[in-house]
Amino acid sequence: MKDYRILFEKKGISKYISHLDLNRCMIRTIRRSGLPAWYTEGFHPHLYLMFPLALSLGIESICEVMDLRLTEELPPEEILSRLNAALPEGLHALAVREPVMQATDIAAAEYQLCLSAPEIPDLSGLWNSFISQPEILIQKKTKKGMKELNIKEMITIQECVSQNQKLTLVLRLPAGNEGSLNLTVVADAFQKYADKPILVESACRTKIFSENYQDFF
Amino acid sequence: MLNPRIEPFLLDVQKPSRYTGGEIGEIIKDKSKIDVRFAFCFPDIYDVGMSHLGMKILYSLMNERENYWCERVFAPWTDMEEIMRREKILLYALESGDEIRNFDFVGFTLQYEMSYTNILNMLDLAGIPVLQKDRGEQIFPLVVGGGPCACNPEPIADFFDLFILGEGEEVNLELMDLYHKMHDEGVTRSAFLKAAAQIPGIYVPSLYDVAYHEDGTVQSITPHDGAPESIKKRAMTDMNQAYYPEQVVIPFIEPIHDRVSVEVLRGCIRGCRFCQAGFLYRPFREKSAETICRQGITLCQNSGYDELSLSSLSTSDHSQIEQILDKLLEYTAEEHINLSLPSLRIDNFSKSVMEKVTTIRKSGLTFAPEAGTQRLRDVINKNVTEEEVMRTCKIAFEGGYTTVKLYFMMGLPTETDEDIIGIAELAQKVVNLFYDMPEHAKGKLQVSISTATFVPKPFTPFEFEPQTTKEEILRKQQILKKAIKSKKIKASMHISDVSQMEAVLARGDRRICSVIYDAWKSGCHLDSWEEFFEAEKWYAAFEKNHLDPAFYANRTRNYDEIMPWNHIDYLVSKKFLIRENQKAHAGQTTPPCRQSCAGCGANACLGRACF
Repeated sequence: MKDYRILFEKKGISKYISHLDLNRCMIRTIRRSGLPAWYTEGFHPHLYLMFPLALSLGIESICEVMDLRLTEELPPEEILSRLNAALPEGLHALAVREPVMQATDIAAAEYQLCLSAPEIPDLSGLWNSFISQPEILIQKKTKKGMKELNIKEMITIQECVSQNQKLTLVLRLPAGNEGSLNLTVVADAFQKYADKPILVESACRTKIFSENYQDFF
Repeated sequence: MLNPRIEPFLLDVQKPSRYTGGEIGEIIKDKSKIDVRFAFCFPDIYDVGMSHLGMKILYSLMNERENYWCERVFAPWTDMEEIMRREKILLYALESGDEIRNFDFVGFTLQYEMSYTNILNMLDLAGIPVLQKDRGEQIFPLVVGGGPCACNPEPIADFFDLFILGEGEEVNLELMDLYHKMHDEGVTRSAFLKAAAQIPGIYVPSLYDVAYHEDGTVQSITPHDGAPESIKKRAMTDMNQAYYPEQVVIPFIEPIHDRVSVEVLRGCIRGCRFCQAGFLYRPFREKSAETICRQGITLCQNSGYDELSLSSLSTSDHSQIEQILDKLLEYTAEEHINLSLPSLRIDNFSKSVMEKVTTIRKSGLTFAPEAGTQRLRDVINKNVTEEEVMRTCKIAFEGGYTTVKLYFMMGLPTETDEDIIGIAELAQKVVNLFYDMPEHAKGKLQVSISTATFVPKPFTPFEFEPQTTKEEILRKQQILKKAIKSKKIKASMHISDVSQMEAVLARGDRRICSVIYDAWKSGCHLDSWEEFFEAEKWYAAFEKNHLDPAFYANRTRNYDEIMPWNHIDYLVSKKFLIRENQKAHAGQTTPPCRQSCAGCGANACLGRACF
């Protein structure tokens, strides 16, 4: 029995696969790959597979992580090549290693968000005024109904580049058990603030971090 | 390839991967090397269509030909339809993303009558004239239909260029070959249709004139331009030689049936008189145990699925079912695959078969006694006795089952109130059986009864029968409700006008085409989804066309009446159907085909006796 952590990308049309569907998709992929997957004991054995951090529908990623247990030890190259031969379009395994950190160690994620807005002449300026508000309030659905939440302190801007009518942002947002902020929530809040259509040209998760921005993988 | 016009809207709809393509198993070809393009349209949403076995077989089969390309098309859900209409995005095929109006064939599978308006809606979304007569002389796109409802295609005849009757494995390719040849010769649509009508199994409705008596019944159906008097369905003679796919398209979202299936046999030996499939798919033909196991294992390996279903109208009627299960279970247990047998019969549900199935997974048991009393079960030729139901339930209870679902029909020919009360009594006996077993004195049990309204269908011995009216069904439901005494019995009965509409569409004639057209124009589609079915709009469409649904649904038809499908030959003879109808009214049963041949005539295509 041996645990492996797989780093994979989810790009192109595979960004439309929901988290639940991704799980089923990966189970079949592993079964097709012929990798000696480990199954849980008990009355209804199932293939052991774990995704430490879910990704929202519609967001691409170059840093997804999935944990897999095999019944025997295999060279990483073989695991990678077998997986990649079986994966559907847009999903691609990049690296494999033994897990070091626990899923609960995840604290943040980094995203690249590219926006355009034909009706807004200075999108970059608008973003700056949006982010400079004393607070950015959003409505969050909770079990007890709608709750107001200030997300301003949760957003860390790593980069903000305006080029060819497009605004490219690199944002770090909290992620994991200790509370997380979804990229679409930020985009929606900005959209609401702008009050004019903003197109999401692309949205991609680029890194998953543990505390102090250490690479989780 | 993802249709670039649809991409900007994918995050505005539910389950966007219904619209992207790109699944494992999808077949992509180089357009420049393709001679004939076939859009295989399922007239319902992706989730439903992707569960359909026939589509999987024909998709792979057509794509085996290097220069032919078959692609998948489904009806969009309402959210996506709204966007497509607003943004003027035409219906496209998932593989290429190309608009289907430029395809050579636009083929619909006709699985249930209530999907007919979806066909019109999909043609309209595709930018293809809904009515055949408006399509002009350009040879493509040819709108074709096949599948069980093609046995009476008259209610949708105005929308189709041609129908493919029976099993498509051979005739689909013959049709495409003819098209390939004639397309290169630059012929017109009508010239092609005349030639296609000469292929056995191809029905071109525009080559037939229908005349009616004053009372509304059919007077005559007359072919012209050399079309045959009668069109015989196609059937494969050897199931072991029949094409079967080695891989299927694996959806990202969860379809209704999320598994791979092996078809184990075609046809049915039972002859239940209400069951259209039991007559349409005759003669009975099995695949060998070896073929079934090989095909099942190949599909599991190639797809990665962890559920394999042995599918047919009655899987436990396979002569080698135990050997098949033994051999497959060896493989499936090792590979963590759940083997499912969706259609087990009560009478031959043996203890050993059950033990084999339950070694893998235990779920609820489902039985379909169909009628509450032995008298009525004899009428419908559901050759199941109460003792058999009890014996099977006992085996099941001993095996640990605690939920039993019982399916019944209401409104069967000759049905009386005693038969309805019999439903409750049968369920009560099942409850008593459970609690009479000492180990279950305090056990939990649920017996669910579900009743559906009987719909008389063409090519069954009940094609002559009137459907019971809604008012009468409501009355019978009240009787059943009163007759149920135990809290362990849960009855789900619902009534809607869908059953009557289904009865009309199933046995309608060509005049129904304008009713369907008007119903669709007034907004009807997705009629098989309860939340979208709008009875008033359908009734208004009948009124507009001066037609009475009761004429089609609730009228007794004479044996000598010319049925709207009189020119269509599904191998079972009308004489046989009449004989079976008479036996039904006399309360006489007909034994399963394996015991003795009832002489339906379907074996003629085999050139031998079935058994």
